[in-house]
Amino acid sequence: MKYMLIISLATAITAGKGLAQKAVRKTARVQVEYFKGPDKTENLVATLIVKEKRYVPFGEAMLYFYCLNDTARILLDKIKTNDAGKAVLTVSNNPKITKDPEGKITFIVEYKGSSAVKAAQRKMAIRQGDLELSFFQKDSTKSIEVSATETGADNQRTPIAKVNILFYVQGTFSLYNFAKEKTDENGIVQVAFPVDMPGDTTGVLTIVAKIEENRTYGTIEAKGEINWGKPIQPVKEKKRGLGDTDAPLWMVYTLIVLLSAVWFHYLYVVYMMIKIKLAR
Amino acid sequence: MEKGKKKQSRRKFFFKTATAAIGAIGGAGLIAQSCETKKESGETMTLLSPDGKLVEVDKANVAPARMPAHGKNARKGIPNKKFVMVIDLARCRNARKCVSNCQKMHQLEPEDEWIKVFLMQDSDDTAPYWFPKPCFHCNQPPCVKVCPVGATYKRTDGLVLVDNERCIGCKFCMTACPYSSRVFQWKDPGQGKEDDENYSPETSVPHKVGTVGKCDFCPDMARMGKLPTCVTGCPNGVIFFGDKNEDIVTNGTESFRFSELIYDRAGYHFMAELGTEPNVYYLPPVDRLFDYKKGFKTLTPEQAEFYKKSIVHKH
Amino acid sequence: MELDAKATRALNYFIPQMVSISKSGMVQVGILLVFILGGLYALVVQIVEGHIVTGMRDNVVWGLYIANFIFFIGISYAGALISGILHLLRVEWRHPIIRIAEIITIISTIIGPAYILLCMGRLDRLHHLALYGRIQSPIIWDVLAISTYLIGSIIFLYLASIRDLAALRDYPFKQKWRKKLYRFLAISFNGNAKQNRFLERGLTIMSAIIIPLAVLVHSVLAWIFGMTLRPGWHSTIFAPYFVVAAVFSGTGVLIIALWVFRKYYHLESYITKIHFNYLGIILMILGALYGYFTFSEYLTSWYGSETWDMEVLYKLFDPHEYWWWFFFSAILGVALPVLVILIPKFRNINSITAVSVIAVFALWVKRYLIIIPTLETPLLPLQDLRPEYIHYTPTIIEWLLTFAGVALFCFLFFLFSKFLPIVSVVKGEEGTNYAELRKKVMQRVLKRKIKEEKRKASQKLQHI
Repeated sequence: MKYMLIISLATAITAGKGLAQKAVRKTARVQVEYFKGPDKTENLVATLIVKEKRYVPFGEAMLYFYCLNDTARILLDKIKTNDAGKAVLTVSNNPKITKDPEGKITFIVEYKGSSAVKAAQRKMAIRQGDLELSFFQKDSTKSIEVSATETGADNQRTPIAKVNILFYVQGTFSLYNFAKEKTDENGIVQVAFPVDMPGDTTGVLTIVAKIEENRTYGTIEAKGEINWGKPIQPVKEKKRGLGDTDAPLWMVYTLIVLLSAVWFHYLYVVYMMIKIKLAR
Repeated sequence: MEKGKKKQSRRKFFFKTATAAIGAIGGAGLIAQSCETKKESGETMTLLSPDGKLVEVDKANVAPARMPAHGKNARKGIPNKKFVMVIDLARCRNARKCVSNCQKMHQLEPEDEWIKVFLMQDSDDTAPYWFPKPCFHCNQPPCVKVCPVGATYKRTDGLVLVDNERCIGCKFCMTACPYSSRVFQWKDPGQGKEDDENYSPETSVPHKVGTVGKCDFCPDMARMGKLPTCVTGCPNGVIFFGDKNEDIVTNGTESFRFSELIYDRAGYHFMAELGTEPNVYYLPPVDRLFDYKKGFKTLTPEQAEFYKKSIVHKH
Repeated sequence: MELDAKATRALNYFIPQMVSISKSGMVQVGILLVFILGGLYALVVQIVEGHIVTGMRDNVVWGLYIANFIFFIGISYAGALISGILHLLRVEWRHPIIRIAEIITIISTIIGPAYILLCMGRLDRLHHLALYGRIQSPIIWDVLAISTYLIGSIIFLYLASIRDLAALRDYPFKQKWRKKLYRFLAISFNGNAKQNRFLERGLTIMSAIIIPLAVLVHSVLAWIFGMTLRPGWHSTIFAPYFVVAAVFSGTGVLIIALWVFRKYYHLESYITKIHFNYLGIILMILGALYGYFTFSEYLTSWYGSETWDMEVLYKLFDPHEYWWWFFFSAILGVALPVLVILIPKFRNINSITAVSVIAVFALWVKRYLIIIPTLETPLLPLQDLRPEYIHYTPTIIEWLLTFAGVALFCFLFFLFSKFLPIVSVVKGEEGTNYAELRKKVMQRVLKRKIKEEKRKASQKLQHI
């Protein structure tokens, strides 16, 4: 009987803990971003984070991607997050995706939850935008022109007005922002080309124009290359020097002269020794 | 009498098993709770450890393989690049993330530092400041001049690297470098076989006993368009890295035109009069983000004492 | 070969010493071997466990080994400069000491570079020096210079010993290998006029060329330090400074060796007061010259206030750091030899040897003080908490190898003395006392006068 009491107490405590656990599951959050690259592929990048003191990425968890069609949820795909908690779904040219009459697409990304983590979901409504980048030169001024358009519910193109476009030069490790302008009523913006930026050996610069983290349009990127930048001198390999593989010529000559002088005398002395032997 | 005893023992047995079962379930429940929040995938893969044994490692812990150039190609620079670094002394607070990231990246012992953070005080009246110092990858490198076998060499992309398969360990380069940038492997680092094919002067790992190592500006990362880990690890964006030919430097979040940054913020070379023409520029500690005393937080008490003694306390 | 009475006497005197070994000799050799074995053990430990067993760390990367290396190469000047110059000037009293001087050169030129090998991290890659050598590097200059110098010294010693080798060849030795060896080495020398001419020509050439070679060797060694951007090293007078210090220490070791051999081989009739006096005067002059260079170097650093130079100077002048060593090496080590030899009352064989010992020690300490304090004061502040990184302390491994080097030096000397008479046998007894020297000088003066008279007479005849 004593044992029964102890055991039931223990079970009650663990069960109680379990019950209490169920009540304090961890909170999770889903973040969704829409990307449209220069090659026109559209991606949804979902990040799942869970609160452990601070929010940390939640990897190896299943995320469900839906598209909202009126009130019905259409499953697009389910993807496991990687170690950084990210899952990427390509949504370009997906027949399951429908636009509502206003021209918006509503995505829902859901984490179904588990015994330890609460469920979480994020709804995002975006409009499909597009950026076209072109270069033009009037007299001697070189400029970049960007046209922002939106594809509506009826697949008609309309310009996007008053949207911020950021202009970058592509570097090896990052993008350098050199201009920031708003589009006019026709969705067009022009900026001067940064002719003082160095390009490669032929002066080619890659210009990137972005609508960045816009609530309506997400992030849209357009790229273009042209050789209007400053050409750089190709880096030449140094030939001879103190810090190179080959020594400066004067050093080589000095060394040869010095060594030959000494060793010539040695050989002469050896010759003397041979003569001694012969003059027996 | 015997029958009664049998009944007794049966009851005892029943209670004992019941106890055990419930205890097991309860215990399992406790253990299960502590396991719920682990982020390891549970999927493992078999790897070859550095000392030649087969090890089971969780997939979550495996970093992507590095792809440096090998052999003769490691002596040729990445074409048409001139790597440069700018360090903003106004932002440094001795967080030492650059030091620990570099040590992790290059498999260094905790006492060996390829990027060091000094507490400098130029004279008795001037303010102390924290001074991160990687290898300067000088354009007139005194270390390259004196190497008898050409184990350390200068590339066209500005980097000075060490080929530890050629180094004879004479340490002349260590005496020639005026900036104390080089570290010697005094004992066997125990990092794998001597003829490891994975060795490259661009990664500087695995280390070899009796040879010299130093900061290499992580060229294998640059080949993939990634910044060195000291740059990305800094919580205050102190270190900027980039290509001088492109005129763009970045600390991972902000990008500037190198020429404008140096011009606007009065960038300078440390001890420029030595004539070594470093490829690392410093931005003077003006309008600082942090008081230098905040830098003692990342040190142990005895380390903090040592540093405090080494400066003149007028502040 | 024909020998005169003196030479025969000398030969009969030296041969028993060469062929046998006394009991006390065995004990001494035994002690030397113990030290050498200690060094071998230390070497094995260092090879197996890596250089972590030494006291060298990332700041002081060159320690006791490099100090020993410079010390031994410095000593080698005994043969090169002393015997080279003495031979070139046909100084009368040179014969008994030339061989000892040359042997000192050869042995120290073998042991010195051995210390560099000890300091190298990867001995298994020594061939890289030949495969990938860069002639812009002072170390390659050093390798070329020292190997050339060693070969030159061996040739010089050989030439200076041919006469003795010929005499030894003719002596009826019991051991066959000795007979064979001397026959091979003597290259049929039998003292005829032609052979003497060739020999003299060879000797003159070698003694002439070994002098600039020796100066170059030590200058190259100095440039290994002088070419770096380090306080205390980046000095323009480093090359001449090292050369002077080397001749100073070389003379000191020569005097010590002469004293040792004179005492233990009973060579009082060959190595006399003359040698000690003249060498002592050379030591004094060089000591004064060395003191002058030291004074100039430190005064200039101290007067100009460059921070990086001052930091090293403060270390040298700090009683808690290196002051007493600096006092001993730069002040005492110069003043004592100069004073003792300058004042005739104090000048005798034993006192000259005693100050030579002090001078040699002082110069070893000086080599240590050149290397270590500079390496302990890098340009960037030493903010390292590990004590072995701040202050260099040589470990037992380094000391064992240092003593083994000295023991090896003595041991190799001992071996040499078993193959060759320590003092030149054929011409050994020339110039061993002042009376003889005076006689020779008078003879030379007389000869010159006679020549002059003859010339005047023939001129008169021509006029007529």
